[in-house]
Amino acid sequence: MSNLERRYRSLLRVLPRWYRADREEEMVGIFLADRTDELDLEHSWPGWGETAAILGLAVRTHLAAGAALSSVPAKVVWRGEVVRALGVLGLLLGVFYATAAVVDVVAGDPGEPAPGWWRVLELGPLVAFGVLLSGRRTLAKVAAGAPVVLSLVALAQPEYALAWSVFQLPSLVTFACLCLGFHREAPAPPARRLLWWGGGAVLLGVLGGVATGAGVLAAGLVTVVVRGVAFVRGDVVLGRALSLFAALQLVPLLLLAFVGGDVVSAGLGVLLVFAVVWPLRRRPKTAPQAN
Amino acid sequence: MSEQTFLVLTALAEEPLHGYAIVQAVEQLSEGRTVLRVGTLYGVLDRLVADGLAERDREEVHQGRLRRYYKLTDSGVRALQAEVARLSANVRAATAVLRGRGVQAWASRA
Repeated sequence: MSNLERRYRSLLRVLPRWYRADREEEMVGIFLADRTDELDLEHSWPGWGETAAILGLAVRTHLAAGAALSSVPAKVVWRGEVVRALGVLGLLLGVFYATAAVVDVVAGDPGEPAPGWWRVLELGPLVAFGVLLSGRRTLAKVAAGAPVVLSLVALAQPEYALAWSVFQLPSLVTFACLCLGFHREAPAPPARRLLWWGGGAVLLGVLGGVATGAGVLAAGLVTVVVRGVAFVRGDVVLGRALSLFAALQLVPLLLLAFVGGDVVSAGLGVLLVFAVVWPLRRRPKTAPQAN
Repeated sequence: MSEQTFLVLTALAEEPLHGYAIVQAVEQLSEGRTVLRVGTLYGVLDRLVADGLAERDREEVHQGRLRRYYKLTDSGVRALQAEVARLSANVRAATAVLRGRGVQAWASRA
């Protein structure tokens, strides 16, 4: 085996084992086709473009984009579905906050003074949700990333770094899930069903804009209720995604409750703990439909 | 349908091909504008197989290396037909607009 072949095989280790078992020999054959020069075979390395394409394929296969392939293990299909669901839940939370911000402005309660571009970037999740449903994934990721960029501004002041980590990491995790889960080959999100979800998030956002504490509490309550519905219906993907989502939101809430003595946060925290620990139904034997 | 998917479908429409032959065919069809990376090729093939537009054909061993062939399904042919019709309609519309401006649709390559 030449050095070049060894390097290509090392690169392919980023792919899941089940995928390599099926495709590695075939792929190595393409990498090394027409490469007969001894010096080339001993001293060359995989190019940057090829490496990036394999890393992209690794994301797609680890998150089960090729779910209809016969050899995809059920747990990989679950993982992909849960990551996409978690990404959508993060976006729905963004829709909730963006709507509340709009209601604040319309109601004449500007809150903290903010420049115009800040207000525009805050609307990112609303735009992202709409364009995701219309199938424009890249644009959705750019729009969803706007508030994340906005939050990075806080890092310009190092004393806020710890607070930023606590309060922004949940959003960053769900944003990463959105980016990784909805790649080019991923199945399309169910637009009709998600429209209802988006409508619910907007309604809660209106409530949140009118009465901040009540809106946040209602959002927590809805999370717990939907978690319960998922349990009853045996929707393990949604149940798992909601558990992770609630666990992510718990971190800043617990800090607010115990350090700041915030009663609303404490109440919401209790609700979310309930959502996290609520048992999932046992997995059925068949994997969920990927498309 | 992405340009890469369209070109892979077009390459497979002629005859079943193995991975390396698909890469070469796509490069030829696009006159060198599209060079498929292996990771990209398999992303496209996975999706085509998942959607039932392509399927695995025979396997061969060439110079000690595995070559797996892929072929278009009937659904794949219909999907390619539909995409060609869509693109042709776009080209006709654009050609008419350019002609209206007194400009020829195809610029000289010289």
